[in-house]
Amino acid sequence: MHTDRIGRPGPAIEVTGLRKTYPGGVEAVRGIDFTVQPGEVFGLLGPNGAGKSTTIGMLTTTIVPTAGNAHLAGHDVVREPLAARQVSSVVFQEAVVDRGLTGRAHLDLHARLWSVEAGVGRRRSAELVEAFGLGEVIDRTVAGYSGGQRRRLEIARALVSEPRVLFLDEPTVGLDTRIRYELLDLIGGLRARREMTTLLTTHYLDEAERLCDRVAVVHAGAIVALDTPERLLARLGEEIVEVRVTGDPRAALARLRQRGLADDDAFAVGATVTVPLHQQQARAILDELAAAGIGSSSVATRKPTLDDIYLQLTGDRLAA
Amino acid sequence: MTTIAVTNDVSARAGASPRTVSRGAALLTLARRRAALSARTPREIVVPLLTPILFALVIAPALATMVHPTDGLDYKTYVAVGTVGLLVPLSCMFAGIGVIVDRDSGARRELLAAPVPRSLMVGGNFVVALAVSTLQLAALMVAAIARGATFHTSGTGVLWFIAAAYLFAVASYGIAEVMANRIPKQEEYIGATPAVAILPWFLAGSLFPIHALPGWLAAVAKILPLTHALAIMRYGLLDRHATGLHDIWGMSSATGMAALSLLVVAIWAVALAGASVRVFAKSAVH
Repeated sequence: MHTDRIGRPGPAIEVTGLRKTYPGGVEAVRGIDFTVQPGEVFGLLGPNGAGKSTTIGMLTTTIVPTAGNAHLAGHDVVREPLAARQVSSVVFQEAVVDRGLTGRAHLDLHARLWSVEAGVGRRRSAELVEAFGLGEVIDRTVAGYSGGQRRRLEIARALVSEPRVLFLDEPTVGLDTRIRYELLDLIGGLRARREMTTLLTTHYLDEAERLCDRVAVVHAGAIVALDTPERLLARLGEEIVEVRVTGDPRAALARLRQRGLADDDAFAVGATVTVPLHQQQARAILDELAAAGIGSSSVATRKPTLDDIYLQLTGDRLAA
Repeated sequence: MTTIAVTNDVSARAGASPRTVSRGAALLTLARRRAALSARTPREIVVPLLTPILFALVIAPALATMVHPTDGLDYKTYVAVGTVGLLVPLSCMFAGIGVIVDRDSGARRELLAAPVPRSLMVGGNFVVALAVSTLQLAALMVAAIARGATFHTSGTGVLWFIAAAYLFAVASYGIAEVMANRIPKQEEYIGATPAVAILPWFLAGSLFPIHALPGWLAAVAKILPLTHALAIMRYGLLDRHATGLHDIWGMSSATGMAALSLLVVAIWAVALAGASVRVFAKSAVH
């Protein structure tokens, strides 16, 4: 474990001013900064195209940053790419397997390339095969695996080298609900590996809320919020009211703000106006909209979720 | 919730720079992977053999009954060596399909994330392509001998043959790797294969000496690595007077001409192998 000048453990991931502009001028990542401590599960949360996978690509040295720098366990990903890759493993968004090879061959290949000593590799593989429930299929070719089995194999493969940094790029995308929840359970179990830092990208908000110690909300290549899920949720208070209006939602929001019934944290996405309830009552909001001649087709009050945080941070901006 | 056992050895992780696998071990591992994948797709090995074996077993003996000896050489044997120039490029182009499969639906990204120099991925493919070509050459030679080809071999002659065949195989696989990394679709790659693997074969003195070509085509043939490789291979196995090499260089020293032709094939091999690594790196890292 790398340490700082006075012997404290250094960050597992350190990203400063990281930027990627593709040929043609597309700015995929616009100068992001974050630090992840050893053992932490850190989430990059955002929609497709937000820049999450480009960020992972830069951290795993398959995409060259345009500017800024990034370190994995103290190793610069540009100047020491082999060292950076040695301390990390990746589970990719799409299946990255040789369909003609057995599951065991995949684990063995990873162990050899990450210079895991043969006996240690066999022992770890056996542990992982058991823990991930792959015993029945491990000697079959991957072509015959179900989607869930293949995903479990890919995660097990990434763990054979006991990485100090594990990248999980949209690990549950494309899986059916049952398998997705099984996999979330499995990923949650990785927390027992206290020496391992996990960087998870996802556009499933429940996934981030459930698994991550801290979450960076990424929008259009920039981090628009970074905090623990609890603190992010606390921004919207205890309860919100969601009103689906039949008129112009922007006009509705403007009216509520004008009358002091909505703060800056209220937002409108599509036909829905969402207002965090701090002091005001939902009844007063509905009365005000009715008084302004703005009809409502549905009303609901509920606890805020990361969905609301995300929409507040990005949806409103997109609409602005 | 599933709990995964903690087996981390923190003390082993102390230190500034982590230990990475040696280049030799990494190359061997990558070659083993490629070999395992090739073994599971026998078409890569069998299909390129079909046409050359057909030439050696059927067409060359049939033509030999109609064609006078070429420059005093047995035509069956002449064509048997000529079919090496068809077999090796076909074999290498088929091996290139594996590169496309790796990229489109295989484990290439996992290998790119591995702590090994990425040029070794190309190196591992080269090792297996050369090994498969060797097996196929052996099969071709056995078939040719079984059908009556007669080789006048000597230790030095065999060495000339091997050197020319391997350097030509390196050049051929270099082209295949470049194309596989530059062409986006497997269908397009397969469509381009005849132009790369078969067209030069008709110009390079495979079935007849290049002095039978029109002057301008003979000049083109002299640039092709296959022309030089075939002339060396024939010099090594049947053409003691080096007539093929003389058609190219017009010199009197057979050894000198063979060395010059080998240099030409080597330059092609080095250039195309280098290009294949560069093109791979450009396609793999953005």
